[in-house]
Amino acid sequence: MREEVALQPEAPVTGQGRMDVAWGANTGDETDQELSQANTAQGGEIFEQHYTPWRGTLNPRWMRNWAILRHHLLGIFRKGHRPWTMPTRIFILIAFLASLSDAGMTLLSGLVGSSEFHGLFGVSRDNLYGHVLGFFPRNVLYYPIIAALLVGSVISEDREHGTSALYFSRPVSRFDYVSMKFVSVALIQAMVVLGSYLLYFLAEVVAYGRGWAWMVDVFPMFLAGILAGLLLIFTYTSIGLSLSSVSTGRFFPGIGLLAIVFGTKTLASIVKNLFEREILYLVSPYDCVAHVGQAVIGTQTTYDQYSWTYSLLALVAMNALALYVLATRVASMEVTRE
Amino acid sequence: MIPDITQQGKPAQTAPQPSVPNAPVVYFQGVSKSYGRIHALSNITLGLTGGVTGILGMNGAGKSTLFKLLMGKLRPSAGEVKLFGTNPWKNPAPYAKVGFVPEHEKMHDWMTALDFVSTFARLHGMTRQEAEREAMRVLDFVGLADVAHKEIGRFSKGMRQRTKIAHALVNDPELIILDEPLQGCDPLARTTIMNVIRELGKLGRTVLVSSHILNEIERITEQIVILHHGKLVALGNLHAIRERLDQIPHTIRIVGEDARNMAKDILDHPAVFGLRFPNETELLIQTYHFGELHAELPRLIVENNHRVHLIDNPDDDLESLLNYLAGGSA
Amino acid sequence: MSRTDEVPSLWSGLDRKAMAVAEFTVRQQRKRLSTWVVLLVGIAAMGVLTMFYIDSMTRDYEAVDNDGDSYDWDMDGYPNGQERLYGTDLLDADSHPGLLSPPIPPDDASVWVNEDDFDWDALNEGSVGYDDNGDCNVEERTDSQKDRNGNGIPCDIQLDLNRYSGTYLISTDGNVDEDPDDEAYALEAIHRSFVLAIGKLGVVFLIGIFVPLFMATGLIRQEMTSGTMHFMLAKPIARGEVFLYRILGFLAIAWTYVTLLIVLLAIVTGLAGPSEGVFRFADLGVWLSVWLAALLAVMVYSMLFCMLGVLWKHGMVLALPIAAWELGMILTTLGAPDAAILRFSVIGWAMNIVDAGAALAWSDTPLLIQMGMWGGGNGPLEGAEALDIFASTPGLNLSALATVVISSLVMLGQAAACWLLGSTLFKGKEIE
Repeated sequence: MREEVALQPEAPVTGQGRMDVAWGANTGDETDQELSQANTAQGGEIFEQHYTPWRGTLNPRWMRNWAILRHHLLGIFRKGHRPWTMPTRIFILIAFLASLSDAGMTLLSGLVGSSEFHGLFGVSRDNLYGHVLGFFPRNVLYYPIIAALLVGSVISEDREHGTSALYFSRPVSRFDYVSMKFVSVALIQAMVVLGSYLLYFLAEVVAYGRGWAWMVDVFPMFLAGILAGLLLIFTYTSIGLSLSSVSTGRFFPGIGLLAIVFGTKTLASIVKNLFEREILYLVSPYDCVAHVGQAVIGTQTTYDQYSWTYSLLALVAMNALALYVLATRVASMEVTRE
Repeated sequence: MIPDITQQGKPAQTAPQPSVPNAPVVYFQGVSKSYGRIHALSNITLGLTGGVTGILGMNGAGKSTLFKLLMGKLRPSAGEVKLFGTNPWKNPAPYAKVGFVPEHEKMHDWMTALDFVSTFARLHGMTRQEAEREAMRVLDFVGLADVAHKEIGRFSKGMRQRTKIAHALVNDPELIILDEPLQGCDPLARTTIMNVIRELGKLGRTVLVSSHILNEIERITEQIVILHHGKLVALGNLHAIRERLDQIPHTIRIVGEDARNMAKDILDHPAVFGLRFPNETELLIQTYHFGELHAELPRLIVENNHRVHLIDNPDDDLESLLNYLAGGSA
Repeated sequence: MSRTDEVPSLWSGLDRKAMAVAEFTVRQQRKRLSTWVVLLVGIAAMGVLTMFYIDSMTRDYEAVDNDGDSYDWDMDGYPNGQERLYGTDLLDADSHPGLLSPPIPPDDASVWVNEDDFDWDALNEGSVGYDDNGDCNVEERTDSQKDRNGNGIPCDIQLDLNRYSGTYLISTDGNVDEDPDDEAYALEAIHRSFVLAIGKLGVVFLIGIFVPLFMATGLIRQEMTSGTMHFMLAKPIARGEVFLYRILGFLAIAWTYVTLLIVLLAIVTGLAGPSEGVFRFADLGVWLSVWLAALLAVMVYSMLFCMLGVLWKHGMVLALPIAAWELGMILTTLGAPDAAILRFSVIGWAMNIVDAGAALAWSDTPLLIQMGMWGGGNGPLEGAEALDIFASTPGLNLSALATVVISSLVMLGQAAACWLLGSTLFKGKEIE
């Protein structure tokens, strides 16, 4: 009501009145004496208010989900979408270029025409496996770190700032919310892992003029590589997002993912080298994927003590646990700033 | 030397004094602060010693920036900031005589009020016992002695604000800076905090309080500083400022059916010193005695049978007032 | 004010602030769930490794007949070794020591397994070894047959250390120490490998890098983002001090944790490991070096990560590639401990300290590896390859003590550099 003071014709407009208008508002202080003196308004009016419901048609669900997905994906490339931090984007670019090293070498070997060179870098069963699942440097320096950088700022940041309200106050279900986050994080990784894989394959075709016969020959192997890549991405993403959903910090999920990937790998390789037991590899996400990948692509397996199906089971268990944590955490997520 | 692990050594002396005698407690000389192209503060010149001063301004007027410059959290883009005669940026020595209540709501919720106050008291070089004693003293001063052992996370907003004030007072500072201490408090907490601030003023401390609500400041002090868009627009006694505001020419806008006829009748009034007709139906009246004229207007209109749609004070909004002030002080 | 006018020293002032901030940090971390999760996961991981270790210490190792002399080729009931000892024909069933006068009763085959163990106690260069079962020192053989390595001593092993490569040249007279005790060797080698593996990879690397990564990255940054840093920075305390004391508080937790972990591991392995007494005191030197390396590594990493946190609000983005780099470096130290690239890591220097400590406490490790690899001519024995992986010579080509001193100084320097950089950055930060 105080805003009206100066506008009433009978109210003397003085310096005090003007300052009241400027800063006097909203003390919420009903016992205040000065306030009641200054408030000399007599009349009052209540305007009739109407609530006009929105009568448009709601876009289909996939279109709303696509908007979320697009928002996250385009953020990698340009402004105005989800602000992935600059170094995250730079790192993704660097990792992408670095994982193209074998494609470059294949092109080079095609130019030079050296078959030894081709044996080292060109498309073969081992090299296709190595492109996706090789440990060093790809699964030390590139892929897990991309995953860690991405998951660090997905759900945990929404929890920290309460920005999940922006989604949940719209016709977006929690399942849509979390699955689109999942898909977008996975797709960004796929751009690096599988994108470079495709280019590598293409480099071989271009450099050696491979025809259909070769492609048909190699195709099952190629598909197996993609499958292995999808498995890797899915595993990193589900573990990373479940960590992201249990924390509010920016640091914890990323560090946690790396700690899990590297920590279990290190422990398992200590036990392998020291005690000749490979059983601990079953708790290492990377090794489980690698073992399954070796079986699927058909390279020489480096895990001899048990069948790859155990690794697959362990992988399913890991992902199920991670997705369970993710689902329950998101379902019970409070739409507030924590 | 063996570290004083048990913290039972000799009690601390008052922290080393910055050695600039007779310097104003707070001193800004042509200070500007900008972030890229946004000017948070421009060309502030201000010196304060003693008494309670209210810093009035809207959100984003630069109140917090002013305080952060003073506390060495920000570096001025231009000009000179002095706290007890020394530059506070990168020099924590003068903080020994300062208590600062930041505006941030987030606190260390896991601590008890006593822990919170005494931990930070120890940063003044007090021993553990000394710090606890002082902490209890200030908590009592702000009326929280009975909840001193409760966790801050369970406090209400008013209690949190008072804990923050206690933490700032623990070193018995000469200058106390309170950034929006009343924000979000209920009337009871508000009154308590206001009493605390008035009390501090009576003790002869220099107190700076910021607020965007005049009424709050008015109940605490008469000495005010008004900031607007980073500019210092007014400084001094509240009443003096009000009187000066009365001297500003005001404009009254009348929209009616025949503006020219209306003007004839109104022009006779002694308070009017200027008239303008932007168009056929509109009349702009300028006056130095706004209140008087405003009281007379309805009578004049009714007596002369004019048909009026609207009487309005076009420049009675904050923006024009502040622009006037900014122009006047520049 | 009730303060007296006694003049406090600069030290007591500093010390009170340091204690206040450090104590504050410890209590803050103690109240966080994630702290406990991280520390418990660390203990659990080390526990799993230790379980495997205890299992391998208590299981039975198959006694392998490395020289094959427990077989009885001619099926006359006398093992080959016994026949060789008495000079009868190994392949002729009608020629065996039972036909000698007086007749010799046949030995059980197990007598000729592990019957000629390493007698290399001296571990000096030159002549070592002793022919326990007497199958070298057979009377019918000539002196030159007994002294194949030509060092003038019959039935011994000549050891020559190649000072450049650090490896030993083993030249044997044949049938000397040719059937070592597999279990004794395996226990010793696996025990040493385990101490080195869990010390290097477990405590110094995994704990040393991940605990600071989880707990120290946000020491300053989290307070800055939440705005609570204002309380501390409004007090008469320099920002460099805040940085240092926060780290000190973190180290109070992390160092205690690491120390506790190492003491536990030292006790468990000391009791479970193979030893003549109840406890293996010889390992304490290694544990001491692991402890030193872990403390230094934790300190450098916490300074580094805290500095990255101050540098930028997304400091984690910088910290993660560094952690991955360090993982690559520790793998490098296992294979190539003197690679120059290790100078550009933290873990490389820490590994130098552990390797040097191990070289001091177990000076015979390189020899033990080669003994195992040789294995009486039928190597490698179980455990030798593991020891070969996890043991490496200190990388600086200096004496062990000098390596420890220099590496420690370098790591202190790294910590100091990170602190200086961190507090300089912190001083220049405007805090919103």
